[in-house]
Amino acid sequence: MISLNQVIKSFAGTNAVDNVSFSVPEGAFLVLLGPSGCGKSTMLRMLAGLDQPTGGQIRFGDTLVADGQTGFALPPAGRNAGLVFQSYALWPHMTVAGNIEWPLKVAKLPPEERRTRIATAMEMLGISQFANRYPGEISGGQQQRVALARMIAPRPKIMLFDEPLSNLDATLRVEMRLELLKVHAASGATSVYVTHDQVEAMTMATHVAVMNRGRIEQFDAPERLLSDPSSAFVAGFVGTPPANLIPIADGKWFGTIPDPSLPNVIGHAMVRPEAIELVDRPGQRTLNLTLAEIVPMAGRRLVTGIANGIRITAISDDANRILPELHFRLPAAPAAIFVKEGKRIS
Amino acid sequence: MTFPFRRLGSPLAHHGLTIAMAVILIALVAAPLVTILIQTLQPASGAGAWTDVLTGRLSRNLFWRPTANTMIIGLGVAAGCVLLGGFLAWLVVMTDIPGRPAIAFMATLPFMIPSFATSLAWGSVFRNGRVGGGGGLLEGLGFSVPDWLSWGMVPTIVVLIAHYYALAFTVIAAALATVNGDLVEAAQMTGASRRRILLGIVLPVVAPAIIAGGSLAFAGAVSNFAAPALLGLPVRMQTLSTRLFGMIEIGQTERGYVLAILLIAISAVFLGIGNRILNSRRSFATISGKGARPRRFSLSGARLPLAILAWAICILTTILPILLLLAASLAPSSLSLFSNWSLHYWIGQSDPAFARGQPGIFHNPQLISALTTTVMLGAIVAVAANLIGILIAVALTRQKVPMLSNLVSQMSFLPMLLPGIAFAAAYIALYGAPIGPLPALYGTKLLLALALTAAMLPFAVQTGRATVAQISGDIDEAARMTGAGFFRRLGAITLPLAIRGLAAGLLISFVNVIGDLAITILLYTPTSPMLAVLSYSYASDGFHQFANAVTLVILVISMLATGAATLLQGRRRQNFA
Repeated sequence: MISLNQVIKSFAGTNAVDNVSFSVPEGAFLVLLGPSGCGKSTMLRMLAGLDQPTGGQIRFGDTLVADGQTGFALPPAGRNAGLVFQSYALWPHMTVAGNIEWPLKVAKLPPEERRTRIATAMEMLGISQFANRYPGEISGGQQQRVALARMIAPRPKIMLFDEPLSNLDATLRVEMRLELLKVHAASGATSVYVTHDQVEAMTMATHVAVMNRGRIEQFDAPERLLSDPSSAFVAGFVGTPPANLIPIADGKWFGTIPDPSLPNVIGHAMVRPEAIELVDRPGQRTLNLTLAEIVPMAGRRLVTGIANGIRITAISDDANRILPELHFRLPAAPAAIFVKEGKRIS
Repeated sequence: MTFPFRRLGSPLAHHGLTIAMAVILIALVAAPLVTILIQTLQPASGAGAWTDVLTGRLSRNLFWRPTANTMIIGLGVAAGCVLLGGFLAWLVVMTDIPGRPAIAFMATLPFMIPSFATSLAWGSVFRNGRVGGGGGLLEGLGFSVPDWLSWGMVPTIVVLIAHYYALAFTVIAAALATVNGDLVEAAQMTGASRRRILLGIVLPVVAPAIIAGGSLAFAGAVSNFAAPALLGLPVRMQTLSTRLFGMIEIGQTERGYVLAILLIAISAVFLGIGNRILNSRRSFATISGKGARPRRFSLSGARLPLAILAWAICILTTILPILLLLAASLAPSSLSLFSNWSLHYWIGQSDPAFARGQPGIFHNPQLISALTTTVMLGAIVAVAANLIGILIAVALTRQKVPMLSNLVSQMSFLPMLLPGIAFAAAYIALYGAPIGPLPALYGTKLLLALALTAAMLPFAVQTGRATVAQISGDIDEAARMTGAGFFRRLGAITLPLAIRGLAAGLLISFVNVIGDLAITILLYTPTSPMLAVLSYSYASDGFHQFANAVTLVILVISMLATGAATLLQGRRRQNFA
C-alpha cells in the first residue's frame, strides 16, 4: 500500500507538487496522468527517493519513507522500490546480464541466487539470447526489456515507471504495454506509472490520478474518469475521443441559443460525442457547423465540426451518409456542467 | 544510361570533386610523408642515417636520450592533464561548486595561448642566472632557485600540462555529462554507496574519455617544440623535436628525417591506442531522456576551498602568464618585474647603453614585416584550408565513391596525427629540391603556406562537415521547392546558416597559424620570419623583454580575431540547434 498525506514539493517558491493526498492498495496499478509539467514526474521521483518532499508524508504500508515536515527521507535503496527510466539508463559498459546482475550484487545476493534471478528475469522478458550483448548493440525495444528485467530482478514491492514507453514506436508500445502488465501481475507488486498518454492510463491502470499544475484533479478508477469526470480538465483530457466541452452562459449554448435544461451559470457543458445526433436541417437545439474532419473508426465515423471556434465531435453510425450541411442536435440535457473555474456543479 | 559513352562520362562527372580533393590531399599530405620515408631509405645517404640514429656511436645522444626525455614528458603531461582536467571536469559537471559556467569557460582557454607564451612566463618567474640573461622574479626577491625548477624536465612538463589540460578537460567533461543524471540515479536506486557508484558506474563509463584525453595530451606534449626548446635547450635537455630541429638546422637533414619519422611513429602509436579504445564498442552513446536533470553532488564544507583551488588553476594557466609577460616586457631587469617600467622594449630607439643597442620591437623593421607576414599568412591559410575543408566535406557527404571517399577522409585527418615539426621536415624533404620543372620551394612563403594549410585541414574538414551537414538535405530542398535558384538559395539560406560554422573554422585556423612555432621554425623565410619565430629568436638570444613583447603582440592579434569572430556570430542570435 502507498499512501500520501498532503505532499508538497516546491522549487524556488513554486509548488511543483501541491498538497497531494491519496492512497492505493497493495497490488494496484496506479497511473499518474497529466500533461508535461504537471508534477507527475516529480511525484514519482519522491516515491523513488530521488527527490525529497518539502511538506507532507509518504508511507509504504506502515513504513514512513519520507516526511517533509521533519526532513526525514529513507534513501532509495531502503524503500524496496525499483524504477524504470524514460531513457532506460542502462549502464553502457555492462552487458545485458551485467546490468541485471549489478543491483543484485549491490544487494549482496549469493552468486547462485543471482544466476537464477537473472535467468528468470531474462526469460520472462524474452531477452535471454542477448545476455552477453552490450546495450549499444541491441534495439530500443530490447533495451526497454532489459531495463524492465533489471528492475524486477531484485523483486521490489513497489515498481515505478517514468514514461517508459515514450521512446518506442507505436507498434512496440502496444506490445510493451502487455509486457508491463504481465510483469506487474507476476510480481504482485504495487506499480506507479507516469505518462501523458491517456490511452496507456485507460488500458493499464486500476487507479488513475489525473494531475494538473501540481494538483490532483481526480483520483479514480479509469472508467469513472469517463463516466463521472470531476472537472472540465479531466473531461477534456481523457476518452477517445474526449467529451465535448461547449461554452454556456446564462442558460444559453454559446450564450446565444437558449435551452431550459441549462443552469444559469457561465462555464462549460459536457456533451459526449455519442449523445449528439447528426440531422439534415436545422431544428430545435441544433448547431450549424463547418466541417473540420471525418475519421472512420471501427465501422463508424467521428465527425468533427467547428462552431464559434469550438471543435465539436459527434459519432455517426451511418458510414455512407453524405453531409451537404453539418447540423448537430444536442441532447436534451448535458452529461455534466462545469463552472468557469472547471469545477463540476451537476 | 544505356549508351556506353554516358557510362564512361558519368564517373568523372559524379566523382570529379572527390577525385580533385584526393589529388590535392596527395600533394599536401601524402606526398611529403612518402618522400621523407623514401629519402631515408636510399642506400646512398639515407640508410646510413637510420643506423647512425638507432645504433651508431652517436645514437645515445641522437635518439635514445631524447626519446627517453620525450617519453617522460609525454607520460608526465598526459598524467598531469588527466588529473587536472579530470578534476576540473568533475567539479564543473558533478558538483555544486559556485561559478560553474565561468570555470568551464576558463578551463578551455589555455589551449588558445601558445605554449611558448607560457614558457616565457615561466622563465620570467623561475629563471635563474645559470645560463646568463639574468634571473627571474623569484631570484629578484632573494630566493635561490634550484636548476631543476628553472630549466629542463620539470618546467617543461608543468608548462605543457598548463597548456594541454584544456584538451583533457573538454573530453572528460563531455563524457561526465552523459553519465550524470539517469545512469547515476539508476545506480542510486540499487542502494550502492557513493564510492561504489563512482568506481562501478561513473569511472568505467568515463574511462574511454580519460584515455582519449590522456592520449591527446601525450601526442601534443611529445610533438611540442616551444617548451622544451625554451626551457630545456639552455641546459642541453633534448627531446625528439628539439633534436630534429637541431639536425636540420646544422644540415644533417637525413638524420633529421629519420628522427621525424620516429617522432611521428611514437605520437601515432599512442593516438592510435586512444582512438582504438574510443571507437571500440565499449564507448557508448546513451539515449537521453527528459529526466536527465543533472544531479549535483554537494561539496558542503569543501565548497569554498575547492572553488578557490579551481579558480587558482584557471587563473594560473590563463590570466597570470599574460600579466607576467606584460610586466616582463616592461621591466628592464627581470629580477624586479614590477619596478622601473619602461616602454623601451616596445617603442624605444636604439641606444647602445640599453639592451645592447637593440631598439624597441616597433622600431625593429623585422617586426613590422613579421607582423604583416603573420597576419597575411594566417588569413590566407585560414581561407585556403577552410575552402578545401568545405569542398572535402561536400565531396564526402554528396559523393560516395568506394575506396576514394574513405581515402580522402583518412588523408584529411592525417595531419592531426603528425607532430608539426616532423610534418615540416617532410615538406623540406619533398619541396626542398626542384621537382621537374618546378623550382625548389624551400625558404619561400609559399612552402610555409602549403604546410600550414595542410596542418589546418583536420580542423577545417571537421567544421566543414558540421556546416555542410547543417545545410544539406531538407533545408536546401525546402528552398528548392519554392523555385529559388542556386545563387538565391546560396545567399538567402546557405550562407546565413554556414556563417557561424565558417567563422569558427576560420578563427581556429587563423589563431593556430599565428601561434604556431613547430612548423614555422623549420620553414620560415629568413628575410621575413613570422612573429612566433621572431619571439623565439629574441628569447634564444637572451632578449627576454623583446620576446615577451612580441608574444603579447601575437596574443593581442588572437584576441582581436576571436572578438571579431564572436561579433560575426553574435549578430545572428537564433539558435539553429
